[in-house]
Amino acid sequence: MFHQILLQIFQKLNTERTISAAYHVLKGKRSGQTIQDIGLFQLHQYFGLLPKLPRTTFDEAVKLFMQYSWLKVQESGHFHMEKLGLQRAQQTPTFFFDGWHYRGNEHVFFARLSLIVQSLSHQTAAVRSFSPISRDPSIQAWVRSFLQDHHYLQGHLQQQLLAECASVLKNLPVSAGSKQLVLYRLSGYRLPGWTWQQLADERKESVLDSQLAFIESLHILLNEVQQKNDYPLLKQMAQGLRVKILLTDSAQQTAQLYEKGYSIEQIGQIRKLKQSTIEDHFVELAMYEPNFSIGPFVSYEEAEKVWQASKHYQTKKLKILHEALKDMSYFQLRLVLAKGEV
Amino acid sequence: MELEELLYKHFGYSSFRPGQREVIEAILQEKDVMALLPTGMGKSLCYQLPAYILQKPVLIVSPLLSLMQDQVEELKRFGEKRVVALNSFLSITEKRNVLHYLEQYRFIFTSPEMLLQQQVQEKLAQMKLGLIVVDEAHCISQWGFDFRPDYLRIGEWLSRLNRPPLLALSATATSKVMQDIRETLSLQAPFEFMYNVDRPNIHLGRIVLGDKADKASWLMRHVKETAGPGILYVSSRKRAQQYSEAFLQAGIRTAAYHAGYGAEDRQFIQQQFIDGELDWIVATNAFGMGINKQDIHQVIHESMPANIANYMQEIGRAGRDGESALAILLYSDGDEELAKFVVTGDLPTPQHVDRYQELLSQQVLPAQMLKNGELGETAFRVLDYWMQQETTEQVRARLNHLALEKYRAVDEMLKIIKTKDCIREHLVGYFGQKLQKKPENCCENCGIHYDEIKKVRLNEEKKIEMVLWESRLQQLLLGN
Repeated sequence: MFHQILLQIFQKLNTERTISAAYHVLKGKRSGQTIQDIGLFQLHQYFGLLPKLPRTTFDEAVKLFMQYSWLKVQESGHFHMEKLGLQRAQQTPTFFFDGWHYRGNEHVFFARLSLIVQSLSHQTAAVRSFSPISRDPSIQAWVRSFLQDHHYLQGHLQQQLLAECASVLKNLPVSAGSKQLVLYRLSGYRLPGWTWQQLADERKESVLDSQLAFIESLHILLNEVQQKNDYPLLKQMAQGLRVKILLTDSAQQTAQLYEKGYSIEQIGQIRKLKQSTIEDHFVELAMYEPNFSIGPFVSYEEAEKVWQASKHYQTKKLKILHEALKDMSYFQLRLVLAKGEV
Repeated sequence: MELEELLYKHFGYSSFRPGQREVIEAILQEKDVMALLPTGMGKSLCYQLPAYILQKPVLIVSPLLSLMQDQVEELKRFGEKRVVALNSFLSITEKRNVLHYLEQYRFIFTSPEMLLQQQVQEKLAQMKLGLIVVDEAHCISQWGFDFRPDYLRIGEWLSRLNRPPLLALSATATSKVMQDIRETLSLQAPFEFMYNVDRPNIHLGRIVLGDKADKASWLMRHVKETAGPGILYVSSRKRAQQYSEAFLQAGIRTAAYHAGYGAEDRQFIQQQFIDGELDWIVATNAFGMGINKQDIHQVIHESMPANIANYMQEIGRAGRDGESALAILLYSDGDEELAKFVVTGDLPTPQHVDRYQELLSQQVLPAQMLKNGELGETAFRVLDYWMQQETTEQVRARLNHLALEKYRAVDEMLKIIKTKDCIREHLVGYFGQKLQKKPENCCENCGIHYDEIKKVRLNEEKKIEMVLWESRLQQLLLGN
């Protein structure tokens, strides 16, 4: 699964970026460049899937791809996919990650669920003491108040949670194997969970692949739970975990000053930041703030020209576009590309 | 009320375990106490019960966050609400709240790092504490100089404080370590209790083999023929992984265990082991913190332990149920070289000292070394502490001395392995005690009839199979 995901990302970034760009996407790097790449190349689902991915693991995969003649990497890190690689990428299944909106928060959801299930399981067995699966005090405090809010001592919560989980999982467009995987990361009284190694051995795949299958299932589950009103308990556990503000903090500050009427230069002076940094923020705004208009910076005709050039040359590379449209600045080009075709 | 009645009232136990009463009585007489009690033998009760009698807050300094959390959970299970962990997990607001109401807690757990913060020190100085507990006190010495420099600073702080009685707790300590504890904490004519280190039901085997490959084939045969539950200690994560895979292939229910796994995975393995779903655990020395399984039948060392104290602690996990248990140490010529390499692996080197100095002169924060991955976190902590205290030359000499000390500890372990006399007598003597009586099948040199202790491995144990997700869900929430 890891390799398939990498192939898909490389395919989207083909010839336009370095291989490191793909690594930053998976790690969820919060830099202007990566955030813009996400929008330009439609990489939302992969963002921040593996915040702890070691660079060596990534590099090993790239090396393997080169051996397979799937891609070629230049000295500079820029790469292009070879025919075989493109074919392989075509054969990969469609994934349903939603990294952009969860950014690792799926693990918070699962930590809550794990501790709730573990508590209820011990209550069912009338065993009062156990060692909590989550040591994180904020998770523990959250679960404690959840259990109290739902009067768990009355003993009905088990049935309610069982019904919700069974019903949401039943119709979830995920393989039975993946559902099993999720259930075996939970533990209860005399029912220890299985380690990643044990699960991967059983599924005959790598640990990373098992972890990715788990993350994908959680993303699908979370979106289902949050869209419907049929799962109040799970919905509560998922509360506040879907990211709403999509801008970086710094871009947000710039946006606030812009709304007050300051110019790019003025914002740069106030914030003591380079003009290019402020421009990055505007590009970010163009990408993720639907109400932001690029009109003050680029005319409609100019935008039209950029799109035509991009189609003509089959690229989003600024350097090539700039050569074709010499009278436009890099900043203008980036704004147009970020805003997307209207 | 009598101590026994209080014990029953607060904790539901009807009698004390060895040493608890003596230690508690000394604390109540306002004496400083040093108590050496093995893990799982009610060490914490020595301060838990006095807290209810003293009616003043008890401050417990604990070096490991996970251990602290264990103790907090344990007290909460006994229904105690006035317990708090003052550590780096708290947000700024939470910390402010905790500090504001600090005197209202009965048990205040904290870390050495936290104790060094000025606002914490100021608050504590205003309070009337009933008792200060230094848990895992051997960290001051055994690993202390290198691993926990902050523990040394506690000594400085304690000497300034107008302090209540102090209780130093540890599971293992040699007389040398005890001396370090006494001095660093400035204990005043302390009452000292040390448990009997001898565990007569653990039979001490030692098997000399040609090389690594011989060990591997000996181990394969051994685990196929004899029964667990057992722990196999190895020297590296990689080796743990390899053995675990080999055992699994042979149909033996095994898991590797080391610090490279996430917290959940580690708990899953411990739970599987306790629930009898695993027969062998192949572990680096990360395994053991907090594990409490009574019926471990074998502990095998594939490679040499770093020192005698570690060895005792590791084999001490066997036979807690009182049944006969086996501790077997495998040795091949030259194993001590690997052990020496491993024990000094996390010490800073003279090059690190130079680099630290170089960064300082360039007005760069030395912590940059850590960020660059030039050395490990513990190594940096050691280096950073001593570089602030001493000159470069002194630090170099100190690091050299530390390495030599660690080599010496390996050599002491080697002596135990090489001895032709009674191994048990040597071990017990090392801790300054005298062996009362040799059990049957005492040790390799006194003679062990392995057949009398080994249990034959019965038919293939049932491998746990996965069930469908629907059934698993049902089991988890409604029981079987």
